Amino acid sequence: MFHQTPARSFTLAVVLAALVAYATFGGFFAREIVIEIAILAILAISLDFVAGFGGMVSLFHGAVMGLSAYGYSVLTAKFGIHPIPAAFAGIFLAASFGAAVAAIASRTSGIFFIMATLAFGQMLYTIIFKSRWLGGDDGMGGIPRFDASWIGLDFNDSLQFAIFAVFGIAVCYGIAALLLRSAFGRTMCGIHGNEPRMRALGVSTWKHKTAAFAISSAIAGVAGVFAAQHTQYISPELLFWTVSGEVLIVVILGGLGTLVGPVLGAAIFVLLKHEVGNYTDHWHIVVGLLLIVTVMAGGRGIYGQAEHWITGRSRKARESLNA
Amino acid sequence: MLEVRDLCKSFGGLDVTKKVSFALEPGERRVVLGPNGAGKTTLFNLLVGELLPTSGDILINGASVTALSVDQRAMAGMSRSYQKNNLFEDFTVRENLALAAAAGLSKEKWIARDSFHDPEVREIVLDVANQVALTDILDAPVHSASYGNRRQLEVGLALATRPKILLMDEPTSGVGPGMIGAFNKLISDLPRDLTVVIIEHDLDLAFDVADRITVLNYGDVVFEGTPDETRGNQIVRDIYLGDWQADA
Ligand SMILES: Nc1ncnc2c1ncn2[C@@H]1O[C@H](COP(=O)(O)OP(=O)(O)OP(=O)(O)O)[C@@H](O)[C@H]1O
Ligand SMILES: [Mg+2]
Repeated sequence: MFHQTPARSFTLAVVLAALVAYATFGGFFAREIVIEIAILAILAISLDFVAGFGGMVSLFHGAVMGLSAYGYSVLTAKFGIHPIPAAFAGIFLAASFGAAVAAIASRTSGIFFIMATLAFGQMLYTIIFKSRWLGGDDGMGGIPRFDASWIGLDFNDSLQFAIFAVFGIAVCYGIAALLLRSAFGRTMCGIHGNEPRMRALGVSTWKHKTAAFAISSAIAGVAGVFAAQHTQYISPELLFWTVSGEVLIVVILGGLGTLVGPVLGAAIFVLLKHEVGNYTDHWHIVVGLLLIVTVMAGGRGIYGQAEHWITGRSRKARESLNA
Repeated sequence: MLEVRDLCKSFGGLDVTKKVSFALEPGERRVVLGPNGAGKTTLFNLLVGELLPTSGDILINGASVTALSVDQRAMAGMSRSYQKNNLFEDFTVRENLALAAAAGLSKEKWIARDSFHDPEVREIVLDVANQVALTDILDAPVHSASYGNRRQLEVGLALATRPKILLMDEPTSGVGPGMIGAFNKLISDLPRDLTVVIIEHDLDLAFDVADRITVLNYGDVVFEGTPDETRGNQIVRDIYLGDWQADA
């Protein structure tokens, strides 16, 4: 069951404030990193929503993000449609695809579920990779950012766009947290806990799981719109399964089923990639080692482990007070 | 209320349910007796849709539910408890009951509101907790609760959906005499319009709460009658030889 504890709110506030500060004082390169973190964090929130709370581990969240990015890009760059409705269309496309895949895959579970999402994700990748109209493996460019001049902002300015992306994390986190605290989210956690019993209580669990996936895919779609606007160029690489694998690592590293952990995980992952990447191309090894350590330490992830220590110590303190 | 016609189930070559038929009046308390392996739990699994019958029909208020899924039958008013505890282990007792209550009220899909804070859900949670004597440990995680408490919660989950037909599979298995007495009281305090089927091994309890008794043996209904008729029946005596001769 999801609880938005003060520790989680505090951690989220600190990470978001640090990202804003880094973007503000760090120059152009820092802003690029902050935007990269924001996109990964939003994608990680969307994955944790279904994987951490619904027990549905997916390997197609990258593809869903890419689909939304392509939807947005085609509508704006090819058809000249206004970016705002185009963004909604891209997100809607992602949600529809997620729902369709989940409607099929929700009949299975465990490794079969993961494999089904992987297969559908790769199918989408292949279709886009082969499509000459979508630019094939060359991808497509000329993608506009939102025009925010009506509120006096300019998203072509890297700082303003970076802060907008951090705002995007906050909004997506807020939506995910509210949904997890709603009846819908409670039921999803119940399905994760004991699906047959939930069904016996009168819940159509596969419909519920399908709806949960549609919501998760919509959030992944938000990451896709940011991704397309960030580089203003997209290629099929965005949909490749390794992207989905990477975000799964981020979620586990940060703390599966903690919601704020994956945001922290995204920040650590991207920073490691750039910092270690300065010295060696083998930054994956460092991430891999970190992942092994967190899994060996109990699999709670960096944030999850910290939370575990703190609640364990406060319980001990309370017990010794009572004794 | 609940009617079963010529229900059959076989696993491979093994016939576990053989042409079982019975009909329950609204508000009836029916106890199902039978030795181990008689097919009692299988009958429940067929009733709620967790197993599909080889042949036969199940009807609620005259309408066939045989083609309905588990969740659709639950929505039609059927609810069951399990012989082996089947709970939400990682959640608290309160959360367990609230999940069930929300599902029973069809409030489990709300996206803008929290079912756990819904007045109707809370009322059911407190009511049921009181019925199954779990009020004191509402906020304890289930995995830390005693076996007896978990057994109570097992029945509580089935009650919390506010069913019209309640099926309970050996609710008192593995608990002491004190709890059997409390359970007896729970049954007699249930609303009189609730139709109840109980699989029970404790014969005193069975005779006490039942309006009618059905006896299964090797998948066959070998007897059906009132508790008094059951006591005097020779087939039943043969199957349950010695079990209650002492106090009969
Ligand atoms: N899924 C299954 N596959 C094969 N055989 C099964 C299956 N489920 C039950 N059986 C068999 O069907 C028979 C009846 O089992 P069931 O669990 O219905 O008995 P029961 O009357 O509930 O017994 P108990 O009093 O021990 O709970 C047993 O012989 C059992 O081994
Ligand atoms: Mg049984």
